Amino acid sequence: MAAGTTRRSTGGTILLTVLVLLVAVFILGPLLWLAVHAFATRWRYPNLLPDGLTLDWWRVVFAEPELFGAMQNTLFFAPVTVLLSAVICLPAAYAFSRFSFPGRRLFLIGLFATNAFPKMGLFVAMATVFYGLRLMETALGIVIVHVIGTVVFMTWIPAAAFSSVPRSLEEAARDAGAGRLRVFLTVTLPLALPGILVAAVMSFLASFDEAQGTYLVGAPSYMTMPTEMYSLVLNYPKQVAAVFAILLSIPSVVLLLLTRRYIMGGHLAEGFQIR
Amino acid sequence: MTALDHSAETARRPREARRPARPGGAGRRAERRRAAVGFSMALPPVLVISLFVGLPVVLAVAFSLGVTGGLNRTAAVIGQDVHSADGLLTTAAYEQLFADPRFPRDLAATVLVTVVTTLVVLGLATGIAVLLRLRGGWAATLLSGLAVVPLFIPVVIASWAILTFYSADGFLRSLFAQVGLQAPVLGFTVTGVIIASVWVNLPFALLMAASGMQAIPDALIDAARDAGAGTLRIVTRVLVPLAGIPLVIAGTFTAIGVLGQFTVPYFTGPNAPQQLGVDISKYFQSFNQPQQAAAIAVVVFVIASGVAATYVWANFRSAKQEGRV
Repeated sequence: MAAGTTRRSTGGTILLTVLVLLVAVFILGPLLWLAVHAFATRWRYPNLLPDGLTLDWWRVVFAEPELFGAMQNTLFFAPVTVLLSAVICLPAAYAFSRFSFPGRRLFLIGLFATNAFPKMGLFVAMATVFYGLRLMETALGIVIVHVIGTVVFMTWIPAAAFSSVPRSLEEAARDAGAGRLRVFLTVTLPLALPGILVAAVMSFLASFDEAQGTYLVGAPSYMTMPTEMYSLVLNYPKQVAAVFAILLSIPSVVLLLLTRRYIMGGHLAEGFQIR
Repeated sequence: MTALDHSAETARRPREARRPARPGGAGRRAERRRAAVGFSMALPPVLVISLFVGLPVVLAVAFSLGVTGGLNRTAAVIGQDVHSADGLLTTAAYEQLFADPRFPRDLAATVLVTVVTTLVVLGLATGIAVLLRLRGGWAATLLSGLAVVPLFIPVVIASWAILTFYSADGFLRSLFAQVGLQAPVLGFTVTGVIIASVWVNLPFALLMAASGMQAIPDALIDAARDAGAGTLRIVTRVLVPLAGIPLVIAGTFTAIGVLGQFTVPYFTGPNAPQQLGVDISKYFQSFNQPQQAAAIAVVVFVIASGVAATYVWANFRSAKQEGRV
């Protein structure tokens, strides 16, 4: 009996190890393969390693004023998007969680339904409205495109976070004589903060990632890192695109390390269940 | 089954205490005032979405059906092969699309990629989530840590990285060549699109599945085990049904995202058959046929709405079981 269990668990461990290795190659393989390209002089098929290593490609990227400008644009648009989206959506998230009003559920589903229309088709159609409002090739136009991609995150996830704050806590604070605003600032907000943080991170990444709409509305006046990436892949050596890809991934990876605990903790998942 | 479902859901989130209804005119007025405050707080994102998503979508649907006046006039004048409705509406743009043999092929390829991607993503996510729930340990932690990485990699980079990894001079073929084998070229193939789509969509599905399964009380699993159920039975009869709603949500979001995606097939896909997301941009920019582009978008929208309906239905069902409706 004991021997049977041991054999089974050894077999299981081997199977698991193989599985972990396969998933590791599947997920990390492409990223590592790309990362090594950024330092490669030349790489001939079918060698598993490049001929030599160099930092020259990094100099090429930093010497291109256009690429540098794209980085600045991206680092401007992403935080502005998150802030604007928070201002527009967080009060709504609180209302969805704490008030009952006519149209509440319709609003929630309506915000989700925007995902069902293909993004490319939406941007093409949006151009019509943008021409009418003179928003083409303006920073405001790009910010609007980015904010639209964040609305679902910024309303749903914080709404779930507000809902998870027990009302009894708020009522206890009220009974102790605290005013509405004070209760919100000292009880509700701090407890909902991890959820709001996850929403902010997801919004930041959505803005950081947005390429199609930005290109359609902003090019050629405003290029961001993802839109530059499209032309880089077609017009530059593989190594330059690889360097740029690494630069573009740094902010996301830093965010991953900082907020992994909250995102894995279920705040993201909780946010996507309609209450 | 329904009873189990119910108890798990209630265990997960304790029901909010309802405010006691205050009788009398003053109470009703206060209720109404609260409703008005809530409504106006919820309005800003709804207005933004209505103006910048709702209105364009309505315009695009109308344009695809031959309404070429008003705000659609510019696109109608510039575009080629624009069909204007004599009466109220016309389906000429759709007829033209389906008359071209390439379009039904693209549509079929898109649906195929969507179905396969969704199934593989759900399978992988469920497998890892089950492992996390039942076994735990280093392997499960490592797997879930790995599977969440794509969430933080911009899709542009992911698509391009995957293309180079599986291309003719990529890692996979280099590795096989070391031992004298010929591996297939997966770059610019439908299989390549599926691989990249799975890569991109895995984290969200895993987060949903894992959170759904973590919420299942130990007592239920232990009870099933005491009653003599094996691991397979516990997975198929307890874990998967009880995490049903999160799995449905993960599936619908994956399917909707893959149906309309542009970046992934643009980088990794073949020229024919092409995914519909790429077709929209091709008809719009290369062919200068904005009406046909709008019609394709509407076709994707109709399919995606069908999928979205499942999501809404699943949510309402769970809400009903909890007695929230």
